[in-house]
Amino acid sequence: MNTVLEVKHLTKKFGKFTAVNNISFSVKEGEIVGLLGPNGAGKTTTVFMLLNLITPTNGQIRIFGQDYLTHREEILQHLNYSSTYVEMAPRLTVFENLLVMAKLYQVHKAPDLIVELTKKFGVFDYLYTLHRKLSDGQKTRVYLCKAFLNNPKLLLLDEPTASLDPDIAAMVRKEVLSLRDRGATILLTSHNMAEVEEVCDRVLFINHGKIVARDTPEELAKKVRKARVHLMMKDGAKRTMMFARKAGFSAAVEGRYVTISVDEQDIAYLLAGLADLEVDYREISIDKPTLEDYFVKMTRKDIS
Amino acid sequence: MSWTRIGAIIQKSWYNSQRDVFRLFDIFFWPAFSLFVWGLFAGYLSQTAVGGVNILFLLLGAVILWTFFDRASKDISLAMIDELWNRNFVSLFSTPLTVGEYLVGVTVVAAIKLIISMVFMLFLASMLYGFQITSLGLYWIPAAVGLTIFGWSLSLLVQACIIRFGHTVEVFIWAIAVMIQPLSCVFYPLTALPAWAQTLALGLPSTYLFENMRTTMAGGAVRLDQLVISFSLNILYFLLSLLFFYRSFDRAKVKGNLIKNY
Repeated sequence: MNTVLEVKHLTKKFGKFTAVNNISFSVKEGEIVGLLGPNGAGKTTTVFMLLNLITPTNGQIRIFGQDYLTHREEILQHLNYSSTYVEMAPRLTVFENLLVMAKLYQVHKAPDLIVELTKKFGVFDYLYTLHRKLSDGQKTRVYLCKAFLNNPKLLLLDEPTASLDPDIAAMVRKEVLSLRDRGATILLTSHNMAEVEEVCDRVLFINHGKIVARDTPEELAKKVRKARVHLMMKDGAKRTMMFARKAGFSAAVEGRYVTISVDEQDIAYLLAGLADLEVDYREISIDKPTLEDYFVKMTRKDIS
Repeated sequence: MSWTRIGAIIQKSWYNSQRDVFRLFDIFFWPAFSLFVWGLFAGYLSQTAVGGVNILFLLLGAVILWTFFDRASKDISLAMIDELWNRNFVSLFSTPLTVGEYLVGVTVVAAIKLIISMVFMLFLASMLYGFQITSLGLYWIPAAVGLTIFGWSLSLLVQACIIRFGHTVEVFIWAIAVMIQPLSCVFYPLTALPAWAQTLALGLPSTYLFENMRTTMAGGAVRLDQLVISFSLNILYFLLSLLFFYRSFDRAKVKGNLIKNY
């Protein structure tokens, strides 16, 4: 598969502050890659550099095998972008805004496409409403329509589903996956870890401007290792707590429930131990580690 | 350069202008306002003055030509400040739109607004005071073109400063014409200025154009050598302001100013 996006040693400094620090990665055709990290990690600065709206201090960006210095228009013709945090002209209607954007991408039969996209993203009823009169969620959906106008080969999505209702967010994820099925490549930033786990093939975890981890969402989640075992006790809560502490697991009681954090490979040992102690429980559920746990672990480490 | 993309910028401005009452004020109200004030003042002077040139027409000619400069110096800047206020730069410049296409688009819109504004003003001048722009002969054409280009140069300069330094300098959108007016000798001859100011005034393309306007209205011949100097200065300033704008745009990308929520 062809490499659509290639970033080498990318660095951005604002005065003495280094927002992005020597990052390198590549994204292949048809891949969906998540760019994760806490606020201020350098994700948005990276996206703006990929859009040629911020000039890097150092490093190289190649998109479709070309660079911005010599092929800016060709690159941006096949690239698009959506974010919850950018605006369109407030005194233009939804249709007018999208028509102007379609012309900037030199899209043919733009009015028909605008109708199709606004129907798909549920903003057709607002086609002739001024942009400033839309709610935040409606604005986000209009901006997503914009992002699909030129049938992009590379789509950059910065928090695309923030401020959207769950059903609309699910529909957006479906559209993203459908675009990928048509051969597009997608780079996505999000704080919604479930969303990232659902759609991303790979994840780049960025913190303090550096990529600190890169893997599939499943592999990153496994790095947390800790699973949570929830037991609804009938008898033996005290014995359970003593056993857990003796074994070095962290455990907590809340009402009739005991929750024990344990490495995945120690779950069998824990359950066998409880059986030996003849602990009686009505229900058991095991939460496997998720990408969110990894995110929390990484950011908590940062805070401490 | 893509004419479709330039068309998109023109279309966007057209949609915007339709719904912005204050921009309609710029096109119709302020030119009419200055015409009334100066027309009444000149009418009063005409009644008290004896002989010589027609003071009313002299002042009206100056006001109308000055309006070409005044509008030109604001319209491009106002288009750009709208984009900044509305945080629209990210949307526009994440498309294949180039800076050159954007500038051509906003300049075409500014030219259309200027033409509408001037036709309205000339109509009013004719109806209220019987003033015809043709009383300047064909000279009004190079004078209007020269003043418009000078206005656009200053507008580019102000825009460049805004994207480089932010909103703190946006006051210059409105102040630049006022600052240039005394040295441009709009309502009085160059000799009325003190010597040091005359030196500065000779560096402005507008000074030569207003000097020749008075000569023409007094029945004299246009000095071609002065027109050549005026247009040479105009071309030089326009190229320098364009260069400064491009450099400021690049600098804004380095500093991250294009994506700031101004």
